[in-house]
Amino acid sequence: MSDTIDLIFEKYERAQDQLIPILQEVQRQYGYVSPEAVKKISRYLKITENQIYGVSSFYAQFRFSAPGRHSIRVCLGTACHVRGGATLLEMLERELDIKCGDTTSDKRFDLDRVACLGCCALSPVVQIDKDIYSRMTVTKLAELLKSYE
Amino acid sequence: MTKEKTVSITIDNKKLHVKPGLTILQAAKANNIYIPSLCAFEHLPSYGACRLCIVEVDGIRGFPTSCTTPVEDGMVIRTETQELRNLRQEVLKLLLSEHPASCLFCSDKEECINFQGTIRKVGNTTGCRYCPNDHRCEIQTIVEKIGLTETSYPVYYRNFPVEKYDPFYDRDYNLCILCGRCIRVCNDIRLNGTLSFKQRGQKTTIGPAFDRTHLEAGCEFCGACVNVCPTGALSVKTGKWYGKQDKEGETTCNFCSIGCKLILQTKNESIVDSLPDYDSPLDKGLICVKGRFSITEYVHSPWRYSTPMEMTPVGYNNITWEKALDIAAEKIKGVKPDEVLMLISTQLLNEDIYCTQKFMRKIIGSEHIIPTPLIYLNNDFATYWNLCTESQPLEVIENTQFIFTVGFDSTYGYSPIGIRIKKAAKAGAYLVTLNDKETNLDLLASASFQVEKKAWYDVIEILIARDGKEKKHTEAQKILKEGAIDLNRLKKSLSKTKDKLIVLGQDILNHPERTRLLDRFEKTITKGGWKIIVANPYTNLKGTLMLGGFPYIMPGDILKTQTGEKVKTIKTQIVNFDLNKKRKLIYIIGDAPDLMIPDCDFLIYQNALPASFKKMPDLILPSNLFPETDGTIINMEDRILMVKKVIEPYMESKPDWWIISAIGERLKKGKFQFKDMQSIHGEIKKLIKGFPKIKDRLEFSRINAAGSKKTARFTPVPEAKRAIYRGIALSEVVSGMKVIERSLNE
Ligand code: SF4
Ligand code: SF4
Ligand code: SF4
Ligand code: FES
Ligand code: FES
Repeated sequence: MSDTIDLIFEKYERAQDQLIPILQEVQRQYGYVSPEAVKKISRYLKITENQIYGVSSFYAQFRFSAPGRHSIRVCLGTACHVRGGATLLEMLERELDIKCGDTTSDKRFDLDRVACLGCCALSPVVQIDKDIYSRMTVTKLAELLKSYE
Repeated sequence: MTKEKTVSITIDNKKLHVKPGLTILQAAKANNIYIPSLCAFEHLPSYGACRLCIVEVDGIRGFPTSCTTPVEDGMVIRTETQELRNLRQEVLKLLLSEHPASCLFCSDKEECINFQGTIRKVGNTTGCRYCPNDHRCEIQTIVEKIGLTETSYPVYYRNFPVEKYDPFYDRDYNLCILCGRCIRVCNDIRLNGTLSFKQRGQKTTIGPAFDRTHLEAGCEFCGACVNVCPTGALSVKTGKWYGKQDKEGETTCNFCSIGCKLILQTKNESIVDSLPDYDSPLDKGLICVKGRFSITEYVHSPWRYSTPMEMTPVGYNNITWEKALDIAAEKIKGVKPDEVLMLISTQLLNEDIYCTQKFMRKIIGSEHIIPTPLIYLNNDFATYWNLCTESQPLEVIENTQFIFTVGFDSTYGYSPIGIRIKKAAKAGAYLVTLNDKETNLDLLASASFQVEKKAWYDVIEILIARDGKEKKHTEAQKILKEGAIDLNRLKKSLSKTKDKLIVLGQDILNHPERTRLLDRFEKTITKGGWKIIVANPYTNLKGTLMLGGFPYIMPGDILKTQTGEKVKTIKTQIVNFDLNKKRKLIYIIGDAPDLMIPDCDFLIYQNALPASFKKMPDLILPSNLFPETDGTIINMEDRILMVKKVIEPYMESKPDWWIISAIGERLKKGKFQFKDMQSIHGEIKKLIKGFPKIKDRLEFSRINAAGSKKTARFTPVPEAKRAIYRGIALSEVVSGMKVIERSLNE
């Protein structure tokens, strides 16, 4: 990975305001921002890893763990929130034993939240990979998970 | 003198003349006008987050925050109007909607403050007192000043787990109001960048990257975040449940030769906290973990000797001072000068050293007074001393364009040096670091050499020789390539600048090629072109030499005289004195390793804590530690610094000078009638004019140890690896220092 990340650096000036563009490119190429990548960026831009993480964790777009085989996105937009989105997220966190933003240790699922998937009429909504599941309930969701390997 | 420019402003109908460039908040404060504020902190850049400091200014719409608005000539400001009061109350209520408030709004508050007789921790377990900051909390003050008596918003408890797994301080972010002071002090003052806001919205908290602990994330445990936190979110483990201090006193840290100013807070004669002074010109308040967090546990260690003790066939017996001094005098009486060995630490005070050498010379007539570094460094001592005499004042760092650090790391010590280097690097100085591991300066370095010790010499040659023979140093060539270091750029920057500085860290003391490296540096400095700063662990090395704590160097002798320099010679036989020769009496003040303690008939050990050596002392004399006594030291900048008594001595322990004088007086009446500091100073003044009130930097002569090089023996120096005070490693007595040391050895 170190080679490709050096290639990324070549495209960006060695200036602290390049942090976000570099992070975005890393996320694009690797699917997430790994601790190793943060370390490399830190050396390159002369900002501490802690500061980089602080800045990037403010933006929802950055992930800090490798994506799983399947990505679950729970909608917490207003409509979904009102109709139980948060309960679904809690249930998933418990069921998969991970926190929002993380990946299960068997790499089967990664879990995150999104704000409004644009189908509020069908709320609450959960997206797994490319598929949208509407009017979700805790039991339906538990069933659904079984079909993903 | 030109008259200083001022601007005139009006605050609450008062006409004021203030310095331009101040913020309204600062101007008000300077004139004793109170404006509530939470996120502002005197020494930190303005932030404008809490919005409590709002004011009304004629001609400015809305309510500007006074901490971010600079004063302008003719400004008319109001700080207390009904509207402002209402707004502030509202702001405060919102702020408290995420802050537990039972200590702020409780119907029994008054009774609780007046009559609650329990210590804080009880309140903690029984539920109502969960915050260690009670009675020293800025929110409590502000709630009172703003006159808030209840809050109408529901309190949302964020339920973050309390973080207790790092050494020295705990973190309860449920109490955090996100004022950002800790982040700013860590980033802008300490230049360390351990902290930042994480996540956003209700989940916002503060900490290092990922879920790392502070230890993993490169925290220096300087505690700056803890001092500036207005709430109980950050609290010192050893002091958190003591409540508000009842006294405080200033003194000088004795853990290394910088000698930072410390403000020690005490409660019932116990040290509960140790704070920096941001206005101290020497250290600028940039104290390290040792001065900040190690004093409480060291001084109040349960292992401290409480009374003198005598060894008997059935173990140690507590005895009175009378008896102890009689025994000591009895044993010392009649010993011949070369049957005695006095081993001393270089972390004693000047006054202790003066008395000790006088005792050795005038009572016993012996020159066998040996500071332990002299044995450790033996033939390298002279070179090391000569480099120390060339050591520059710390402010030089900030005005230097090229800095080369060798074996230096300031994570857990020497931070007034390290942070100045970081500052210089940030301002554009070319920084080169050389070490065998990653250091805390590497991130900001222009080039960093992380190479094995055996390659150091070559790297140093490349940097300081400039003899065009770089090719010769093949090892270094390889390193330059691997580290992707651009030699041409480095050379260019080197030749461009006139002021170049070497910062020599303590790792050099343990370098297998110590002699060669130290000699190289001495040659370089003598030749000119480079300056040096030696980060020296021996707190009072300079005082020890100046006051006669070295063999054959009398008090005052090492001072440079007007008539010019007189190079002193340390006799080879003293440097390499016979460690196998049996002695009648050995007297140790501080500590010494077993290999330096020859066989003897009687061993006196004078210190505050049990020794690291295995031999059993025949007599133990308990001494004071620096917060318990008055005196002076001479720091690495060659300045005399005052050490002041802040607490009463522990149990029966006594100052070193007192013990030595009392024995001396028993042996030769009338020789040692020292009652106090003044009487000792009176005597020293006869030898060293103006002592101790000399404001300028002193100047010292060099030492010559010629002819002894061949016999140099290498002994690893404990100070190179561990923080040591009076011979005892801080990590042996301070639990957090042990955690740090373990992490360094991993
Ligand atoms: S102790 Fe010092 S280095 Fe560590 S987080 Fe606090 S301010 Fe930063
Ligand atoms: S921990 Fe303290 S200093 Fe830091 S943001 Fe919270 S309240 Fe402010
Ligand atoms: S840098 Fe030295 S003098 Fe300053 S606090 Fe640390 S040990 Fe004490
Ligand atoms: S809020 Fe969930 S789809 Fe719009
Ligand atoms: S003190 Fe001014 S906004 Fe906080």
